[in-house]
Amino acid sequence: MKTSPISTPAQLAKLAASARKAFLAPKPKILVGAATCGLATGAGRVLDALREQTNGKLDGLRVLETGCIGACFLEPLVDVVMPGQARITYAHVTSEDDPGILDAMAEGKVYEKRAVGRIDAEPFLLDDVKKNYRRGKFAEDVRKVPSYEKVPFFAGQLHVAMRNCGYIDPSSIEDYIAKGGYSAAAKALTEMEPEQIIEEIKTSGLRGRGGGGFPTGRKWETARKAPGDVRYVICNADEGDPGAYMDRAIIEGDPHSVIEGMIIGSYAIGSHEGYVYVREEYPLAVKRLRLALRQAEEMGFLGDNIFGSGHRFRIRINRGAGAFVCGESTALMASLEGRVGEPRAKYIHTVESGLWAKPSCLNNVETWNNVPVIIARGAEWYASIGTEGSKGTKVFSLVGKVNRVGLVEVPMGMTLRQVIEDIGGGIENGGQFKAVQTGGPSGGCIPSEYLDSPVDFDELTKLGSMMGSGGMIVMDDRTCMVDVARYFLAFLKDESCGKCVPCREGTARMLEILDGICEGRGRPGDIDLLHELSEAIVDGSLCALGGSAPNPVLTTLKYFSEEYRAHIEDRRCPAKVCRALIRFAIDPDKCTGCAACVSACPEKAISGEKKEPHAIDQTKCVKCGVCVDACRFDAIEVKQGSETE
Amino acid sequence: MTEGEDTPFTLNGKPAVAHPGETVLSVAKRHGIHIPTLCHHDAVAPYGACRLCVVEVSWGKRSKIVTSCIYMPYENDSVETDSARVRRVRAMVLELLWSRHPEVEALRDLAGEYGVEEPRFGADPSEAPNRCILCGMCVRVCAEVVGQHAIGYARRGSERRISTPYGDAAEECIGCAACVFICPTGALHYEDVGGLRLMKELQTEIPLASCRSCGEPFATEQQIARVQERLNLPKEVAETCPRCRGTQHRRAMEKVLVTKRS
Repeated sequence: MKTSPISTPAQLAKLAASARKAFLAPKPKILVGAATCGLATGAGRVLDALREQTNGKLDGLRVLETGCIGACFLEPLVDVVMPGQARITYAHVTSEDDPGILDAMAEGKVYEKRAVGRIDAEPFLLDDVKKNYRRGKFAEDVRKVPSYEKVPFFAGQLHVAMRNCGYIDPSSIEDYIAKGGYSAAAKALTEMEPEQIIEEIKTSGLRGRGGGGFPTGRKWETARKAPGDVRYVICNADEGDPGAYMDRAIIEGDPHSVIEGMIIGSYAIGSHEGYVYVREEYPLAVKRLRLALRQAEEMGFLGDNIFGSGHRFRIRINRGAGAFVCGESTALMASLEGRVGEPRAKYIHTVESGLWAKPSCLNNVETWNNVPVIIARGAEWYASIGTEGSKGTKVFSLVGKVNRVGLVEVPMGMTLRQVIEDIGGGIENGGQFKAVQTGGPSGGCIPSEYLDSPVDFDELTKLGSMMGSGGMIVMDDRTCMVDVARYFLAFLKDESCGKCVPCREGTARMLEILDGICEGRGRPGDIDLLHELSEAIVDGSLCALGGSAPNPVLTTLKYFSEEYRAHIEDRRCPAKVCRALIRFAIDPDKCTGCAACVSACPEKAISGEKKEPHAIDQTKCVKCGVCVDACRFDAIEVKQGSETE
Repeated sequence: MTEGEDTPFTLNGKPAVAHPGETVLSVAKRHGIHIPTLCHHDAVAPYGACRLCVVEVSWGKRSKIVTSCIYMPYENDSVETDSARVRRVRAMVLELLWSRHPEVEALRDLAGEYGVEEPRFGADPSEAPNRCILCGMCVRVCAEVVGQHAIGYARRGSERRISTPYGDAAEECIGCAACVFICPTGALHYEDVGGLRLMKELQTEIPLASCRSCGEPFATEQQIARVQERLNLPKEVAETCPRCRGTQHRRAMEKVLVTKRS
């Protein structure tokens, strides 16, 4: 569909109506979840095979790529829409399933082997409507597939930021428009005054989703009032927390939502130039964003006279080269300017003097993405979701030792327990919950006593952790908390830019102490020294990376001090993780002498007569644990203490 | 930032005033209050990296640590330059630096003033000992004063170090040795040998020019050209070494004086 540029809201409305008609056309459609998470599990092969096999099979069939709907544990995901029927989601699809799916479609049936859920209506969040897919009664096989409202992973979720992820083809601007896209920008630019928009954002209670939680409306207001003619709008897409990929999913699945948010923001603060700082390690996100920007320019949503309002705005992409610290606003701006990505003190805020010393309004991907919803649905509606201090929804990347791994978007105020147990399905392999790390590497580990705490900016901060950008790493009872603290600190030490002394030297020394504790060289004064170092690093560091770097150590010291003491005083790792403090032994009663472990052992540390119990040579064993996985009889035990009995 | 009015605030319990754009460090200096620094130098822009100049700012019950070399006080700020919290940060900064650079005497002396008797951390054996505390004065003087940008930082975190581009001889370097002179710990050196200025830490060798009067090498060719250009000096003055210039100047003055008397 080739469309001509849009210069009025009326033209957009007309296009939206025809795009929606095409979007909901009663023709068969297959959507393959082809975000990075899907592609990593083989969605590309599924897609290729489907495209090869569809030739002429079904009249008018379209096979489309879509973004991540969040259920990463079910990838590759394929959704099928047949005229007049509910949309069916198939999980763990391989290319071998493709003929079966196509045959089932041709027969008007459900491919039961892989069906995991059904969507009865296509949601149009911005217009507050749902369009039913089905007409009349369900067929027997469709009824057997549970609706999303009954699928535990989706039941408690509310997709606002992820409204289009998994529903639209991210490479189609028409799809985005069909879902109500760009109508909020049209409304803002033609019906609202900039001050009114800022007021609306303030009333909505939206707070920065990148981690700081600063009220977005207030930030915009300061940027608008800052003196000078030139102002910049920046989107921080330098998502770098280990295990967190909310922003990637939004850009890959719904790039226009970010662009639309930035257009509205640019008009509100009076900016004509925007930047998206996106990490180079997100090639698909960069590709989709680039395409989306070109489309938006062609349609006139970016340019010299947007919606005939006289507002001029353009966006450029800058790719980050892989430094975690460039997610910090001042370092990001330094990098944008072409300088070394190093933070500076923020005594003068970037909204007053940021990029090229001009007022610069930087918000995170998810923050920008929320803006069109607030404008379209109104601040009151948005503020009706969430808690007193934290409004709206938040996307979390729920990862770690949890049964259902993926992106979950929930209303603020939902408890950690609901997220982890109800949506995440609890701990994998029937294990015990031990802690959840929120807020990325510099967040904190929250123990089970606080599982009923709500996800809310202020509540998580009170627990010594933080909301951060939305990482949520679940740990089970087989996780050593000292080792976890060491892992995160090692990450932060590596990512410290090295400009200021406390962060550069302090994190390195803290890591040495933690290494010592994990390796059985802990000393009695170590815990006090860690506290002392932490205090100086928190107080003395130049930027938030250093200022929050000790958090994983401080929270584990606070909630799991007995584990530290066991390592230091008893030279014992209660979770049996720290290699220097454990040993592997073969239970002679269980060992059948099958020698599976012998061939698995990379160090040739296991020996024994055939069909007789084997033994591990402790002097050769490197404690890699490969033998445990190789043994089919559960005969290899992990024991406390490094010496032989 | 330099326009506007003075800002009244409290400094160590006494009323003080910051001029527009003035930092706490500067106000303290005017009041004779000593705040230790390692990365501050009046010749270059503040950097805020060493964190030794931290002070505590409070408003009522709330307080925070700020960097006095950058922080410009707000009205009603109450600034303490030597509170217990400030001393704790400084002591740890010094202890950390001492453990990494045990050969820098100035650090040990300063650390002693903050009650650090012996660093509790061993120096990382994998790191070669060096005197560079990464205060960045050399980088700033080269960029801001000399205007050459011949050196910068390489790598990050605890592997950060001062380097020429890609660790090769810096094409931009004019061999002025401003970096050597400003270095507070003696981490950078130069040596004039056989008509060359050698800057071994910067892998750079630059030919020296000889004085047109005495024939002794005294500065690098690029440096002379730069000074001549910037100060708009006659060529013969720029190409004469400071000692000969002094002699010539003295002789000229004597001539004038003799003429005047007679």
